Amino acid sequence: MKISLNEIKKLVPEAVDIEVSELIKLIGSRLVEVEEKIDLSKKYEGAYIVKVVSAEPIPDTHLHLCKIDCRKEDGLVQVVCGAPNVRAGMFAIWLAPGAVVPQTYGEENFKLDVRKLRGYESYGMLAGLDEMDLGDDHSGIVEINPHQKYVNENGETCEVLPGDSFAKVFELNDIILDIENKSLTHRPDTFGLIGFAREVAGILGVKFNEENAHLACFKNDIINNNSESISIDIEDSDICKRYSCAVLEMTDGLTDDKFLTEMDVFLAKAGMRGISKIVDITNYLMLMTGQPLHAFDYDKFVKVGGIDNAKIVVRLATDGEELQLLDGKTIKCNKNDILITSNNVPVALAGAMGGANTEIDVSTKRVILESATFSLYNLRKTQMAHGIFSEAITRFTKGQPAFQTMPVLESAVNMLGGKVTGIADCYPEPAKQDVVKITTDDINGLLGTNYDTETITRTLENVGFEIEGNKELVVKAPVWRTDIHIKEDIIEEVGRLLGYDNILIDYPVRPFIGAEEDSLLQLKNKLEDVLSDKLAAHEILTYSFVSRKLQEDVGENPADSYEIVNSISPELQRFRQSIIPSLLEKTRDNLKAGYHDFSLYEINQVTKKSYNFDDDGVPVLYTHLGFVTTGDFYEMKAKLVLMLNELGLRKLTFRASDGHFPYFEPAHSATVDTPHVCCGEIKAKVLKRFKIEQTISAFEIDLSQLVKELPDTSAKMPELSKFPAVERDLTVKVKSEIAFSKVEGAILESLEKASNAENLDLIFKVIPVSIYQKITDDSSRNISFHLEFSSQKKTLENTEISAIMKTIQESVEKTVGGKIV
Amino acid sequence: MSNIEEIKKKLKALNAEYAKIKNIALEERKAFGIKLNEKRSELQRELQEAILTEETESIEKIDITAPCAPNQKIPEIKRGSHHPLMMELRRVLSIYSHMGFNIMEAQQLDDEFHMFESLNFPEGHPARDGYDTFRTAEGFIPPAHTSTMQHRALKRYKKDLENGGQIAVVIPGRVFRNEDVDATHEHTFYQCEGVYVGKDTTFAQMLGVLKNFFEAYYGQNLNIKTQPGYFPFTEPSVELLIEKPKTLGGKGDGWLEMLGCGMIHPNVLKMAGINPEKYKGFAWGGGIDRLVMLKYGLNDVRYFESGKLDFLKEF
Repeated sequence: MKISLNEIKKLVPEAVDIEVSELIKLIGSRLVEVEEKIDLSKKYEGAYIVKVVSAEPIPDTHLHLCKIDCRKEDGLVQVVCGAPNVRAGMFAIWLAPGAVVPQTYGEENFKLDVRKLRGYESYGMLAGLDEMDLGDDHSGIVEINPHQKYVNENGETCEVLPGDSFAKVFELNDIILDIENKSLTHRPDTFGLIGFAREVAGILGVKFNEENAHLACFKNDIINNNSESISIDIEDSDICKRYSCAVLEMTDGLTDDKFLTEMDVFLAKAGMRGISKIVDITNYLMLMTGQPLHAFDYDKFVKVGGIDNAKIVVRLATDGEELQLLDGKTIKCNKNDILITSNNVPVALAGAMGGANTEIDVSTKRVILESATFSLYNLRKTQMAHGIFSEAITRFTKGQPAFQTMPVLESAVNMLGGKVTGIADCYPEPAKQDVVKITTDDINGLLGTNYDTETITRTLENVGFEIEGNKELVVKAPVWRTDIHIKEDIIEEVGRLLGYDNILIDYPVRPFIGAEEDSLLQLKNKLEDVLSDKLAAHEILTYSFVSRKLQEDVGENPADSYEIVNSISPELQRFRQSIIPSLLEKTRDNLKAGYHDFSLYEINQVTKKSYNFDDDGVPVLYTHLGFVTTGDFYEMKAKLVLMLNELGLRKLTFRASDGHFPYFEPAHSATVDTPHVCCGEIKAKVLKRFKIEQTISAFEIDLSQLVKELPDTSAKMPELSKFPAVERDLTVKVKSEIAFSKVEGAILESLEKASNAENLDLIFKVIPVSIYQKITDDSSRNISFHLEFSSQKKTLENTEISAIMKTIQESVEKTVGGKIV
Repeated sequence: MSNIEEIKKKLKALNAEYAKIKNIALEERKAFGIKLNEKRSELQRELQEAILTEETESIEKIDITAPCAPNQKIPEIKRGSHHPLMMELRRVLSIYSHMGFNIMEAQQLDDEFHMFESLNFPEGHPARDGYDTFRTAEGFIPPAHTSTMQHRALKRYKKDLENGGQIAVVIPGRVFRNEDVDATHEHTFYQCEGVYVGKDTTFAQMLGVLKNFFEAYYGQNLNIKTQPGYFPFTEPSVELLIEKPKTLGGKGDGWLEMLGCGMIHPNVLKMAGINPEKYKGFAWGGGIDRLVMLKYGLNDVRYFESGKLDFLKEF
């Protein structure tokens, strides 16, 4: 939204003496963020109003050689002009050498100079509307009324003279504030300059003079005496709180001024364009008040409805009902759209755009001016359904207050200057002004301030609130404030207008109570440290949504995933069921990028439709750790074991895979039960889909479960003996089908037994060293261990050591049929 | 005799000189001492040099500026990395934790009630559209802000209020917006929400807590300022700006918009079963991605979810 500071200053004279930067700072901190400040005086520097004294055609060209009067002491200036409408005697805008063409200001900054055209020197240029950045017209140069009036710096009204600064005459010594109006969505009143200015007054601590707003109401007798040519029927007051309109006979027609007007400039400052007299006036009033207006051709209106006097019916559309809009497009309405109809025949999509069938044109004699307010809920949907984002609907969707439809309508009638032949106002349930009871303690208590009653009262009254009482205040909101209902609404006004930044900061007073530590978060941090710092893995983040294709590629059931119905792309359609598939995609990308030996992991949430809902009826989400590494089962396993050991989980039993995740190679994958971990090599079939040619292994753990299975103390000092340890190497030859864990188990068990039997209280370690199998004979293998053991009671004697080794030998022979070699 | 031995001998001789000091006139003793000391320092330096020379000559020299010896492989250090977003989030949480805030993680799939209703968005209100939410066929919503967790946090810690304490909790989480991705926009990003409720909670306290957080985070005193904002779930609502910190090249001029905050709307408290006449609170929420981007001078948000080792190995 673009706000002219000059307009604000007209409405709030107190703002004139304040530094612009200070004013912007105050607006930013007490109303809304100012995104940009545009200084128009710089943009229009070097533009002058001049009189074209002569304009001679240059033979064989479309150009004219002009002499212009710009009140220079050394006479007339020569300019070559290509516009068809240039002629002697006219007043035009001259951009002098050195001036930047306003259209290019702030972008390429095209600077004019003296240059030769067809052998003639041309000093600067005569400018068109588009070059002046005041319109889109490029058909000729801008023509200025030779009797154009303006108010000079002494407050006197003068007539323009050749050589006058264009910016001075057309009030372009102005600063435009571009404001971020997203945070004003609850403040429809500030979408008009009057409402914005009222806030500026409030911020400056002065009372806004409502007289400056020029809005008055029709007298009731006019309404009653003039309602014959038009009637209104609102089918449901929920969709249209109020509909007011006037029928105007345009006595002097709708011809437009050929000269540049102050209106054109006013609209351009707001980023709009002059179109025609009637459209310009409705736009002007919308910019001033926030109330959009619409004009219908009366005669077309009654003809469409097939009646003599206009009958306006406001109703919801039926699904599929068609309407051709002003922009030529025909839309199919839905049952949420509000239609303005002429005796039930659609003539406008309410709040959004008029229909082609009642459009104003040059032959229009009578117009219906509409000033109404519609349900913002419906209009918001209309906006989305039909993609209409006009200035009018932007304002309507904030919920324009119903009080101002009539005053704005009257202003429009006055400005258009036609003869009123009919007026109607349908307002079935007039809005009530909210009254809020509040105390100064309520206000100071929430803000943490110490404002007195007088300050509070004055601050609110400055912007139109009516207040009764002292300490116990009865606050009546002004009619344009549709957002004031509760105490907090009032507190916000006081805090904001007096400046939040004037509030002295404070701290809550609390007892010293330690914060609860979230166990899942702690586990996450611990895992990140182990994986990234000890296992040299890389933590990555991938999207929570995956494609159906990815799920199919890895063998997951897409139907078990929550599907995003409005996803950006098919890549992001389904809530993921596990982390590994996303990691496989990134593994592929990184392999492609030239990395070959790495591990990736991610800790994030997953869910499935088949999982439960929580007490709120929301799907339960589980936090999973997914880990993928370039390497085979054993490389992955080593990392997994180290990681779990770091968590204090030392007794791990790997058993055949339970097939919980579909993408593990069944013969090369395993399951650990406590905690539940699935791990293994990724199926060759799956890797093929990713075009990965090397072995990839992975594991996935549900941390929500793991956190419950962690031992109480994760770090335990290893037991140490003060007596010397014995080291022995041991190789067992067993049949190949005997599992490693059986052999290892037999050794551990016998050490345990020996420890108890002789009351030696042994501490021991059994460290696997190698597994050897002959290439020519795979029926058996040699498993070598390194044993370390010591007694906590004494130095072991040779006989004791032999006895222990014998126990091991016997146990291995007996339980796994192994032979010590 | 090696050079070293020679110097050692000289030193020994010099030490003998010291004994002569008692034969020197009192007033000249100082000057005599200084002279001897200087001489000794000189010899000691010579000795060091001689030792170094001998050691250097006894072993083959290597090129210490090279990454490896000739014909050797350049040593490769295998290292992992932490994701910068997760590292930063951890730091943020640790500060809040030290300030006494409990931590509760947000969930990545939620419903209309937590996303809007519990936060005082009227049904069908256009403000609901402003969040560009994703939706599942069942009507679940991947949350567009961590505020979805406010209601849960209020309910979960309500007992603390009833026991005469306060609700103090921060909620980190992954949030989603239906937005096209470019250098400055991501549909997936991280936020951290905060909720504080107590008996005499004020707007002034909110400013104090948040100022304190950013001062701890950037390790310096910082000026703050606000801009009025609008959120249906807080009133008054503001955007908090901090002075650009020195570590980010701030020179006391620029401002950075850090988060949205405000006093919790009475309807939000009421819906969680907390009496808004008795208790007041404040809440805030801000992005984590932006903190990281500012910290490292990153200009493309797409790196975060790229999974690219080229990017990650820098952290």
